[in-house]
Amino acid sequence: MIDSLRKHVSPGWVLVAPFLMLVVVLYLGPILNILWLSLTDPEPGLQNYQKLYTNDTLLRIIWTTFRICLITTIISVAFGYSIAYAMVHAHKKRQKLMLTLLLVSFWISILVRTFSWLMLLGHNGLLNNALETLNIISEPVAFVRNELGVLIGMVHYMVPYAVLPLLVNMQTLDTRVMSASRNLGATGSQTFFRIYLPLTKPGIVAACLLVFILSLGFYVTPAILGGGKVLMVAEYISVQLLVTLKWGTAAMLAALMLFGVLALLYIMSKFMKLSTVFGGSTS
Amino acid sequence: MQDKQFMRETLFEGAEAFKAGRMNRRSFLTLCAMAGVASSAVMVGDAEAAANEIVMWNWGGQSEECHGNAIGKPFEEATGMPLRFDTSGPLQGKIREMVDSGNVTADVCDGDLFDAIALGPSGHLEAIDYDVVDKAKTLPNYAVEHGVSIILYGYAFVYDTEAYGDTPPNSWADFFDTAKFPGKRSLYKWANGSLEAALMADGVSKDELYPLDMDRALAKLVAMKDDSLYWGSGSEAHSMVVNGEVSMGMVWQNRGRNIEIDTDDRYKLVMNEALAMPGAYIVPKGNPAGREAIMKFIATAQDPAAQLQLLECLGMTPSNPEAFAMIPEDQQPYAITSAMNIDNVAFNDPVWWGENGGDAVNAFLEAIS
Repeated sequence: MIDSLRKHVSPGWVLVAPFLMLVVVLYLGPILNILWLSLTDPEPGLQNYQKLYTNDTLLRIIWTTFRICLITTIISVAFGYSIAYAMVHAHKKRQKLMLTLLLVSFWISILVRTFSWLMLLGHNGLLNNALETLNIISEPVAFVRNELGVLIGMVHYMVPYAVLPLLVNMQTLDTRVMSASRNLGATGSQTFFRIYLPLTKPGIVAACLLVFILSLGFYVTPAILGGGKVLMVAEYISVQLLVTLKWGTAAMLAALMLFGVLALLYIMSKFMKLSTVFGGSTS
Repeated sequence: MQDKQFMRETLFEGAEAFKAGRMNRRSFLTLCAMAGVASSAVMVGDAEAAANEIVMWNWGGQSEECHGNAIGKPFEEATGMPLRFDTSGPLQGKIREMVDSGNVTADVCDGDLFDAIALGPSGHLEAIDYDVVDKAKTLPNYAVEHGVSIILYGYAFVYDTEAYGDTPPNSWADFFDTAKFPGKRSLYKWANGSLEAALMADGVSKDELYPLDMDRALAKLVAMKDDSLYWGSGSEAHSMVVNGEVSMGMVWQNRGRNIEIDTDDRYKLVMNEALAMPGAYIVPKGNPAGREAIMKFIATAQDPAAQLQLLECLGMTPSNPEAFAMIPEDQQPYAITSAMNIDNVAFNDPVWWGENGGDAVNAFLEAIS
């Protein structure tokens, strides 16, 4: 019997099993608890989910979150793509320097970055002061304390997250394919759009997924750079948990975010093998 | 980012500056960053309570020094029980979670009186023992079944003297009048104070604010939305003013002095129609030190000497009427219950906020976002 089991179950699972159990207990447990809360607080039923139909505010907050995350994703991945492209094609020494700079910004606390943007772009900030001194503007421009400020802060935070998967993807490409394309008479831009770009699709998808999913949970940046007018789901959940004690609503929104992300991954998996996106083998 | 950060903000960086009477912008911003780091660091919790000590759940910063000296020392001398701190911030949701989980590690929370109304009836709090704690040692409506006010804080506003020096604003009506006083405004993001200010601006008498007419208040706030910024923490309110982002800003009143000094008196505090908020001591159900000990502790905090020391250290105003006359002269313009201010301020109704606060905050967020 053990033999037949061995035939069907790889022995690797035995090694992984304890950790798998730990993850299941410590991870699935709390998630199920949240789901349970969303169905039972303040009283059993679906009324927390019904709020999605009846409460315009919730829909507006979800829409704001979705819109900001989408714009952040598009801009971050576009920037990330150019940076990764430049890094791959730079000299080895310069590549190291670029990677160091990227990682330094990657490791700086989000709070420090957010407050730095306030100092740079604020009403009395460096940029506004400089522009005023140069007589380019007469009134300070409102770069922060609005949706623009939130986007600047979020894109800045997300660019390294977009670069890293793209970089990994680009480094594994076989450059002879591009040479062959040129050799067969394609122009530079033809080679890029018809060969290079399609080959980096897994990297683009991975970067988009990573940035979008991380953006959904943003909390500090919108709260500080939004001037109180840009309310995203994460901050709203925190208020419902800590201040207004509407734990059912908070749990419902958290569940919605979770299923939203899972649905996103599912849809993506219909179009491509997700394991390639996350660095698995392409076969 | 969270409600009732008043305590945390004050303790973190208001305190030193308040005492020293000055604080420059650079050190202020450094402190902002530190507050963020520190507050996440303390989330892990240094909560540990045994039966022979009192654990105060508060907002960190200067509390060991200020609360320790003002209340902890005399209490330890009298009972032998030292005062320790859990500085992770007793928000309503966290108190409820702690009591529900059955692992109560704090004896007393430095919270708001409306927390007592919100959490008391559901069995999350110990009732105050008014044989030990004295109802006469706080303002008449500020001793409720599950909490008692020790200090008061308040919502007032500062204005730019360079913009409005000739005809200075003196009321919330002026604050909301952007035609007569052009410029940006800043308001508190989690509804408290902002709703009351809007109603007073719309002509509601300061003694007839409650129950709040939400529709009327929100209409007034929405009318000024394009000219408004909203702050979630005291440091944010402070920086919006000293950076010139707004020409009138709602602030916690004890920051008024910091701001006046920080801006070389360019910004001035207006205490007329300030909203007095009762900060309160509340006790989570089943606190480790037991009910008897913690009631004695709260009684110690009612002592005028202790309250005056908190005023000196943190700028929190005493709620014990005995202490009102003892407020030092240099603190009088900034203290809520000093002779010059007490008749001009409005008083928060913790019962209304405890019962309706959640819905009010959500309605407010809906209106401003």
